[in-house]
Amino acid sequence: MSSSTVEKGKLAPTQCVGPLYRSESQKPTATVSTEVEFETVTILPQTPQLIALLTMIRDVNTDRGDFIFYSNRIIRLLVEEGLNHLPTVEHTVTTPVGRPYDGLSFQGKICGVSIMRAGEAMEQGLRDCCRSVRIGKILIQRDEETAQPKLFYDKLPEDIADRWVLLLDPMFATGGSAIMAVEVLISRGVPEDHILFINLIASPEGIKNFAIKFPKVRVVTAFVDQGLDEKNYIVPGLGDFGDRFYTM
Amino acid sequence: MGSTNGLNGTTVTEDTIAMRAHYAPPWADLSIIGIAGSSGSGKSTLSQAIVRKLNLPWVVILSIDSFYKSLDPEASRKAFRNEYDFDSPEAIDFDVLVDRLRDLKAGKRAEIPVYSFEKHGRLDRSTAIYSPHVLILEGIFALYDPRVLDLMDMKIFCEADADTCLSRRIIRDVRDRGRDIEGIIKQWFAFVKPNFEKFVDPQRKVADIIVPRGVENRVAMDMVVQFIEQKLLEKSTHHRAALTRLEIGAKSEPLSEKVFVMAQTTQLRGMNTIIHDIDTNSEDFIFYFDRFATLLVEQALNNTPYISSSITTPQGCTYNGLRSKGEVSAVIVLRGGAALETGLKRVVPDCKTGRVLIQNNLRTGEPELHYLVLPKDIHKHEAVLLLDAQMSSGGSALMAVQVLVDHGVKLDRIVLATYSAGRMGLHRLTKVFPDISVVVGSLVQDGEERWVEKRYFRC
Repeated sequence: MSSSTVEKGKLAPTQCVGPLYRSESQKPTATVSTEVEFETVTILPQTPQLIALLTMIRDVNTDRGDFIFYSNRIIRLLVEEGLNHLPTVEHTVTTPVGRPYDGLSFQGKICGVSIMRAGEAMEQGLRDCCRSVRIGKILIQRDEETAQPKLFYDKLPEDIADRWVLLLDPMFATGGSAIMAVEVLISRGVPEDHILFINLIASPEGIKNFAIKFPKVRVVTAFVDQGLDEKNYIVPGLGDFGDRFYTM
Repeated sequence: MGSTNGLNGTTVTEDTIAMRAHYAPPWADLSIIGIAGSSGSGKSTLSQAIVRKLNLPWVVILSIDSFYKSLDPEASRKAFRNEYDFDSPEAIDFDVLVDRLRDLKAGKRAEIPVYSFEKHGRLDRSTAIYSPHVLILEGIFALYDPRVLDLMDMKIFCEADADTCLSRRIIRDVRDRGRDIEGIIKQWFAFVKPNFEKFVDPQRKVADIIVPRGVENRVAMDMVVQFIEQKLLEKSTHHRAALTRLEIGAKSEPLSEKVFVMAQTTQLRGMNTIIHDIDTNSEDFIFYFDRFATLLVEQALNNTPYISSSITTPQGCTYNGLRSKGEVSAVIVLRGGAALETGLKRVVPDCKTGRVLIQNNLRTGEPELHYLVLPKDIHKHEAVLLLDAQMSSGGSALMAVQVLVDHGVKLDRIVLATYSAGRMGLHRLTKVFPDISVVVGSLVQDGEERWVEKRYFRC
């Protein structure tokens, strides 16, 4: 009893997961992320611990407390990966033991923008990595009549055009709201290649639409799932992220 | 040990051992000093004075009194009437004593029975002795059993006047063992005195030195202390030489495939730069170190065992994922490892955590084990994360792994995670323990001083 309508009978990739030094027989098998061909898209390494975290938050029997804890851990890993795409310059410092250390220093100002409400659940993870980061908000909802996403509200840092933007939304299904959010950011003067869209689970369809429309926006995700069902929910997915995080 | 994986026969195991470098912790070659003498001759006072004078955690006293046999009901009734002969060698369980001494001599942990003089029996609990470098075995029959004598490095016989002995015994038994004076005197003439002549006194023949007047005898005290100090120095020299021998090949051989150095991404290098910068303020240092530590622990968990797990999502679909095979606990190598604890708690908030204090001797640089508390069921855990902030020579890491092995943790279940390490330390560690996995935040030069803990704890 797998998903109801999986895109054109495509099978989810299953493989042995674990450190290289273990032989195949010592590694358990699991379904891992579907690969995509867009170079702007980064999928987190499919390590056993990431798969285990995803298994926890996908499980319908996981309670809210655990759901919040385990999703926060994935979000932190996503933010850490996302930050790798920001610019740096060479920077040499002197260490406490007196020798020089050839390192890097971070360049450019950043801000977070969460797509309400599920995206706000990712703010904690962002703050864990970037303490006093500015966070803007965008409210996009599906218009009941047209079934199209509609912008209801936004509050963004005034100097957002000079910042790198980490756009936060955990579920990347059709990509409708993400596309609208990016359009809002571009209209405020943010260069396309200064936007990083960070999400937990994406659908191949959503990624394709988005990457073709915005070839310079980077996407960082933990997992590309099998596809969408008839209600445009990601399958196997994890249900409604906002509900499971905030109200269920 | 630890390398046997069931399916492969003994030949494979032997090969693995042959290839493996050997590490003997300083407690694997225990020196035992026996102090015998009549009851009340000042054996325990002398032992305590020696331990106090040396003031080292790895010099411990073991009293033969702990090895009194448990009494059957008949003997117990006799004992309560002061008619049981406690001063005969028959009363001592030498088999158990020899067994425990052999374990200790081999560097293993030994459970010592606890004997109650009030109840005339062994209590259910036991106390553990682990990792002493010198053990003082004290008791009227410390030099009695030939098997025990074989294990000893120095044999001392304490001598005192009989009336001194009797008066000391009265004071001690009334104060510490809940006896009455009449009973004590009855015991003295019925058992203690005849036994002394028959069994205790002849032990002086096997003694290396005979100490009259106990602790008051300064010359004898100094001799014994000097002897022990000499032994400790020898052990320290051997230990350091063994560590040096493990350096061979460190420069030419590649790192073990079980050593995982974290990918030096721009964020990691940027964080490292802030952490390494002497001008970084403490607030930033702690923030970035915690952030780094969190990633390090997440990475370490990739080396713990997982099993396949099928779950149902809220959409009603099946997902074939993974779950942790079983309990993962942690052991912090103090003080440095405690800097990784915030990171650990962010990843596994309720992680059972053992603690080991290993300090490098300031004078010799030799790692020394000072303190140890481990979860009781640690040998059953699927994985144990061993956390230390820095690994420079690998000496403390070797010792910490040895401690886990001595407590029944299988080598392939140990994951050492450290913020930084040098190739030399990694080489030494994986040469001796090729089955453990190691996660390193970044590779640094060999022999780097431990500066992270000073910065993190600000002292």
